[in-house]
Amino acid sequence: MAAGRWWDIIRMRCRSLLRRRRVESELDREMRYHLERQVEENIAKGMNARDAREVASCMFGGVSQIEEECRDMRRTEYLEDFVEDLRYAMRMLGKSPAFTVVIVLTLALSIGANSAIFSVIDGVLLKQLPYPQGQRIARVFYRSGEYPKFPLNPWDFLDFRARNRSFENFAMYTHADVQLSGTNGDPVRLSAFRISSGYFRALGVQPARGREFDFSEERPGNGNAVILSDRVWRNQFGAAADILGRKVLLDSQPYTVVGVMPAGVDHPGNSYNSVAYGDTVDAWTPFTFDGNPNNRGAHYVEGIGRLKPGVTVDQAGADFNGIMTELASQHEGDKGWTIYMVPLFQEIVGPVHKMLLVLLGAVGMVLLIACVNAANLLLARAAARQKEISVRAALGAGRARLVRQMLAESLLIALLGGALGALLATVGVRVLVSFVPAGFPRTDAIHVNGFVLSFTALVAVATGLVFGLVPAVQASRTDPRQGLHEGGRGSGGSARQTRLRAVLVVGEVGLACMLLVGAGVMLRSFVNLLRLDPGFQPEHVLTAEIALPNANYKTKDNIATFYQRLLINLNTLPGVAAVGAGTDLPWTGYDENMGGFTIEGKIPPPHEEFHARYHTASPDYFRAVGIPLVHGRFFNEQDTKDSPRVMIINDVMARRYWPGEDAVGKRLTFDDKPKESDWFRVVGVVGDVKDTPESKGAEPAFWWPVLQEPFMSASMTIVLRANSDPLLLTEALRMNVHEIDPSLAVAYVRSLDRVAGEQFSTPRFALFLIGLFAALALVLAAIGIYGVVSYSVSQRMHEFGMRVALGATPWNLIKMVMKQGVLLTVIGVGIGWGCALTFAGVLGSLLYGVSARDPITLIGVGAVAIVTATLASLPSARRATGADPITSLRAE
Amino acid sequence: MSKPSDLIQGTLDLLILKTIALGPMHGWAIAKRIQQVSKHVLQVTQGALYPALHRLEQQGWVRGAWRESESGREAKFYSLTKAGKTQLDKELEQWQRLSSAVVLVINAAQEV
Repeated sequence: MAAGRWWDIIRMRCRSLLRRRRVESELDREMRYHLERQVEENIAKGMNARDAREVASCMFGGVSQIEEECRDMRRTEYLEDFVEDLRYAMRMLGKSPAFTVVIVLTLALSIGANSAIFSVIDGVLLKQLPYPQGQRIARVFYRSGEYPKFPLNPWDFLDFRARNRSFENFAMYTHADVQLSGTNGDPVRLSAFRISSGYFRALGVQPARGREFDFSEERPGNGNAVILSDRVWRNQFGAAADILGRKVLLDSQPYTVVGVMPAGVDHPGNSYNSVAYGDTVDAWTPFTFDGNPNNRGAHYVEGIGRLKPGVTVDQAGADFNGIMTELASQHEGDKGWTIYMVPLFQEIVGPVHKMLLVLLGAVGMVLLIACVNAANLLLARAAARQKEISVRAALGAGRARLVRQMLAESLLIALLGGALGALLATVGVRVLVSFVPAGFPRTDAIHVNGFVLSFTALVAVATGLVFGLVPAVQASRTDPRQGLHEGGRGSGGSARQTRLRAVLVVGEVGLACMLLVGAGVMLRSFVNLLRLDPGFQPEHVLTAEIALPNANYKTKDNIATFYQRLLINLNTLPGVAAVGAGTDLPWTGYDENMGGFTIEGKIPPPHEEFHARYHTASPDYFRAVGIPLVHGRFFNEQDTKDSPRVMIINDVMARRYWPGEDAVGKRLTFDDKPKESDWFRVVGVVGDVKDTPESKGAEPAFWWPVLQEPFMSASMTIVLRANSDPLLLTEALRMNVHEIDPSLAVAYVRSLDRVAGEQFSTPRFALFLIGLFAALALVLAAIGIYGVVSYSVSQRMHEFGMRVALGATPWNLIKMVMKQGVLLTVIGVGIGWGCALTFAGVLGSLLYGVSARDPITLIGVGAVAIVTATLASLPSARRATGADPITSLRAE
Repeated sequence: MSKPSDLIQGTLDLLILKTIALGPMHGWAIAKRIQQVSKHVLQVTQGALYPALHRLEQQGWVRGAWRESESGREAKFYSLTKAGKTQLDKELEQWQRLSSAVVLVINAAQEV
């Protein structure tokens, strides 16, 4: 019933607004009807027609007055006034186009920047994951003192799956690319994962065709089945309708296609040999549980599960920790681990969460500065319009009415800025997304959508109210008598306004300084990263990955022979300085294998074991990548599978495990009961390379020669150091590989420069945006200073003229004017420093090698601000020197 | 003259609602009816009546509709909405409470 009434009310309001003419004519008819009835009554009482009409009119009273009161009851006069105010505002803005353009543009820039950043936040942090009830999906890792996030062991996984009471579905997956051949084109490398049964159920997605794997496919020997992505099904198999049941060649082995996923299935991201979150995976094969179930030492699978309804991540974590304790009592290899469970959403967006919030804060500050700036410009204009406002007040405009009129103007400005800003945001977001660093999650979810646009509209309206209110209230205080009296010079009551404007400018400069300090320390941090000696030479190096399928390369000899032949052939290419092969490239992650070796004559420190990154390298690998030899020798052609075992270690490993000794000649082994031939002798020490440029220091690492490697590394990275542009060698590399084996895919062909550059993309992105915002803030602050100083000069021209008459030199006047601008700035810088020091903690983890309280940056920012203020005051100072003593004297 | 005081305005709303509760009526008829029923004690001026009617209409208590009147011409007839009926009950109850309270005070004052 109440709803019915509200509906009536809304209908009436709309009618009064939209069908105004009709409502008016009805009102008129209603009044006329009443009047006519009165006339009829009067005639019935015996009056003649003329008298009857006259008396009736008299009794009725002022028709237009009654009508006006009826109109008031419609409660739409506010809106009508507002429309009237807007019309007036448009006329006023049209009269001073320069003012309008400056204020609208600055607002548009800052509102646009806000909307663009907000659309990133909306897409990345606010939108749900594209999995049904994605908040129920959790990732499961191991954790120990040394490793905060470690992959699971597959046999442990089986125990967890059987014993846990928390998950509807608990599954695992591990990265294992496959090579697809036997289709019409060249062999291709597919980004692929080995998954347990239930993996897709845990994510909540179903194959578009066929089915997902069941338990029987996890058994050894049953695993030759594959689920393809929609992309591979279309591109490689022409979207064949009879794809299910077809045999395809993966790593030269026949696999049966059992399913095709729908388009756009997002990989949840993984941490070990990571593949980025998103539509990045092309094939899934079953994980088969081969080998010894008591081997709990190998960790390379990742846990993911869908929680039962109502079970929290913490409860599930406790459940898993209980199972972990049981396992630790049963298996030696399971000791020392606890469970780290994290919601999938947090796992995906966690790394960028903080950066985005910092960006939002920065861009919010820019908006605040733009507001202050707009308020300042409006104040200046209000001073110039004092006469007009006084006239309006004198003619009876109430204070509230004046405030409303001024607010209508600021709202109009803000809405214009907002509309333009929305346009800028739409373009800006595309630029932003193209700039986004490698591995940034969920970029495909970033759009300017209805939600973002409503945010923009809200920001615009709020902005208009914020920057409009102060000037509006100020203006409404105008005393009409004073305003009209002094109208000629328009300076009445301006002391208060001048003070207010000065305060606003100080605030503006303070905020801008804070942003500049942020941008400054980020710049220093970035320079620190760039200046860092990477430990290798990324220039002129081509890299590519080759994986040898197990079916064709069954023995170590097969593999070794292939790489040996390839490297010899590549070495003869013109323009190649050095060529090598290795399991890893610098700065691309590392093998999680760490411990498991003993050093001759050494005992590891208590609660620790010897650990190092495992790698394999061909003789010229180090020369090709540009890692220097510190001591000893590189591998050479004499290090074959029959020669004594040798290895190369890095400097950190040498100094940590053989402090004060010469590591070359020392031995270590991977065997519990080593024979003489199981010992590896250190023959060389090479320079350190950190895991990533931001890592605190390098970790211990060693390399085996390709021919002596205890494991089989079927997948290797070829590294070609060229004399000039390395990408020119791409085709030659491909031809050389195919000459030896045409069934191989040459994958991930990139320059080492690009590989290394990706490590800087995140800090570069953050620096670029913060720098942009800081620059915008500085320009806005400069406009603010210019506005205040210029206004003050125009007020003081008379005074300056007098001073000239009394003997002031132009230089004296310039100094006077400059002093004002610089003084405001100095106070602003002080406030900015204070705020920057207070909020320094926010940036902490985003910085490398520089404190957020860096004194050099603080001083530099102060200098920049003062120089800017000087420049912004210069035009006004020049104007002051033009003060004419004759004019001033005449005016006296 | 045309601006009624708050008390009368509230009372006028009640009078109008009560009058048209009998059936749809136009402004003239409402004024006449109140005049007749109150034995010419209450004279509702047009200046008070029409703004009140328009307000009640805007608030969703009454609804106006044009139709032919007894005089043969089109007139705007006001009728109670469902919400208006509830509102009338509420105002009646309030009025009765208020008037009996006033009576109590007056009687007590006489006793002193």
